[in-house]
Amino acid sequence: MSAASEAPSTVALIGNPNSGKTTLFNALTGANQRVGNYAGITAELKIGEAYTPHGRKLHVLDLPGCYSLRANSPDEKIALDALTGKLPGTAAPDLVVCVVDASNLERHLQLALQVIELGMPCVLALNMVDVAEKSGLRLDPAKLSEELGIPVVVMQANASKGIIELKQALRHPFPPSSSALWQKSDGDPEEARRTFIADICSLAARRPDAQTWSLSDKLDSVLLHWFTGWVAFIAVMFTVFWAIFSFASVPMDIIDSALGSFGGWVEEMLPEGDFRSLLVDGVIAGVGGVLVFLPQIILLFLFIGLLESSGYMARAAFLMDGVMAKAGLSGKAFLPLFSSYACAIPGVMATRTIDSAKERLVTIFVAPWMSCSARLPVYFLIVPLLLHESEGSWKQALILFGIYALGTATALVVARVLRGRLGPDKSANHFLLELPPYRRPQWRYIFRHVIDRAWSFVKKAGTIILGLSILLWALATYPKTDSKDPGEILAHSAMGRIGAFIEPAVKPLGFDGRTGTAILTSFAAREVVVSSLAIIFSVEDTDDDEETRSLLRDRIAAATWPDGRPLFTPLTLISLLVFFIYALQCLPTTAVVAREAGSWKWAIGQFLFMSGFAYAASLLVFQGGRLLGF
Amino acid sequence: MLTTSSVRQVTLNEGAVNCDVRISSLNGPACERLRDLGFCEQMQLRKISNGRNLVCTVCGAKMAISRELAEQVLVSPVL
Repeated sequence: MSAASEAPSTVALIGNPNSGKTTLFNALTGANQRVGNYAGITAELKIGEAYTPHGRKLHVLDLPGCYSLRANSPDEKIALDALTGKLPGTAAPDLVVCVVDASNLERHLQLALQVIELGMPCVLALNMVDVAEKSGLRLDPAKLSEELGIPVVVMQANASKGIIELKQALRHPFPPSSSALWQKSDGDPEEARRTFIADICSLAARRPDAQTWSLSDKLDSVLLHWFTGWVAFIAVMFTVFWAIFSFASVPMDIIDSALGSFGGWVEEMLPEGDFRSLLVDGVIAGVGGVLVFLPQIILLFLFIGLLESSGYMARAAFLMDGVMAKAGLSGKAFLPLFSSYACAIPGVMATRTIDSAKERLVTIFVAPWMSCSARLPVYFLIVPLLLHESEGSWKQALILFGIYALGTATALVVARVLRGRLGPDKSANHFLLELPPYRRPQWRYIFRHVIDRAWSFVKKAGTIILGLSILLWALATYPKTDSKDPGEILAHSAMGRIGAFIEPAVKPLGFDGRTGTAILTSFAAREVVVSSLAIIFSVEDTDDDEETRSLLRDRIAAATWPDGRPLFTPLTLISLLVFFIYALQCLPTTAVVAREAGSWKWAIGQFLFMSGFAYAASLLVFQGGRLLGF
Repeated sequence: MLTTSSVRQVTLNEGAVNCDVRISSLNGPACERLRDLGFCEQMQLRKISNGRNLVCTVCGAKMAISRELAEQVLVSPVL
């Protein structure tokens, strides 16, 4: 065998949105890509490796879902370019696996026929046969294969059924390309495809005469209803926020306790000095201060995964279309914006499903105003200072809900203004959304995704936040003074001097130099402010977990101005909250925005606008509140 | 015998909820997109609900489409 023939072949998975391509990709490659139950989960090309039964290596491409090869939206264009070998850095596929939903064959075959017409070797993966059989569809895969002239593999990718058979079909030599017999030289190609599909489906995928009333239909009669649908939507969203506050307290206590014990142990083991101070006051206080919020972040991703996997997310987009329209956006913008509640980066990337280029730009611009999970540590630090725990977690949940609502409402207002300034699209784009059947959540993928996100958070705590914590500790420790007074030590340090320098700029917002410095350190990653405050206010971990948990809050609550006035009044705390709701303090988001918008100008403009907006809003809240006598 | 011309055609917006209809023709700028999504001539569909966006089932899939798009879909009752 020649060396050339040993080179791995490239196999592309193509299909309509929500046909199960990513599930199949994960099953083939053992990868862990995010799987959902709504269109547009895969917004970019994914590449993995698989092996044929004979051990031959294959490169597998998971293309974004598309309805046709006309490339109406950016993600469809990526799929088309990858298929035709025009995507830089990606080889043209040697074989295409057309993934079709067996219960929607009439629609999904449209794309499959267009791929076959390109003259590429194809295999049809007839996925979701369980759903098709349940709906009473009588499938004849052999007839389908005979009519299309390509191999057809019956599959249920989410249960790993048919994977071996598909790998058998990917053996060398690849099947020859079909000659697209349905196309005549003189006819309309669209018409020819439609007629062929109607004929083939009447032979190989016969539907029962009477339409059945499925469980999804029954659920939709409530969840899409103009009144009960909204009641359910608000209940779902409120439950998510309430659960994040309530359920996370036990694991948070455990993490706190463990960090406290560890800090105490380090303090006992090491002699007093700079190294002990670095570990206890810098590393453990800084990294631990952020790690303690891991349970809430896990819960948020778990709930978002559940909503996506069950199919409810598409219903939420349907309900929200009217609200989005008031902001000059469509219901399609809801999915990226909702994803941004977890993290703005996947949210910005999910905007590729939006057909209108201008709507997409506006959605990218406002997506970081959806309060992401990195803001949660800041909110969880400040909200309990405004409202004591004894007043009930539901009140805290209500405030958190209000914070999210404020960010969202502002985003929609700004979107409206911006959309108006950008003007109408060249061609009209209308709302069009597939509502997939409700499915049992795919727990395996949800858990894997949650673990991934949690690990990425821990990694960030161990790298960026650790680095900044050490830097902050050094700034707060050096140069040293002989004084024993903590206030004088801080004032003499580099941190104190930076704080004094920037204080005039942040004083109108109600903050002193220390808070200003903490904010300054959080512009690379907003959650760093928690570690910064822990280091600046000299919080150490203790053995008593309850004490450790509230120590930072106590220190903040007890902090004063030089004249003895409390530093953090309710008005100052609200001003601080408002600043963090609006400021864009995430460098990775700015980088992704530049890539997706195709312009650094847009990304830098967004950063400057959001920072300026945060400053102005915070100023308005503090000065307005003071004028009103608060 | 009923001919196509003798059957009353209405837009999908005007069609009754919970009734099965057949697409007679598509007329408007979004025809190609609609066809990609399964709204092809002669295809049977059921309108589930009215509203700002319509919900209907076509080829076993449930789709939500705007009223502007539904206006471009001409349907006739299933005989």
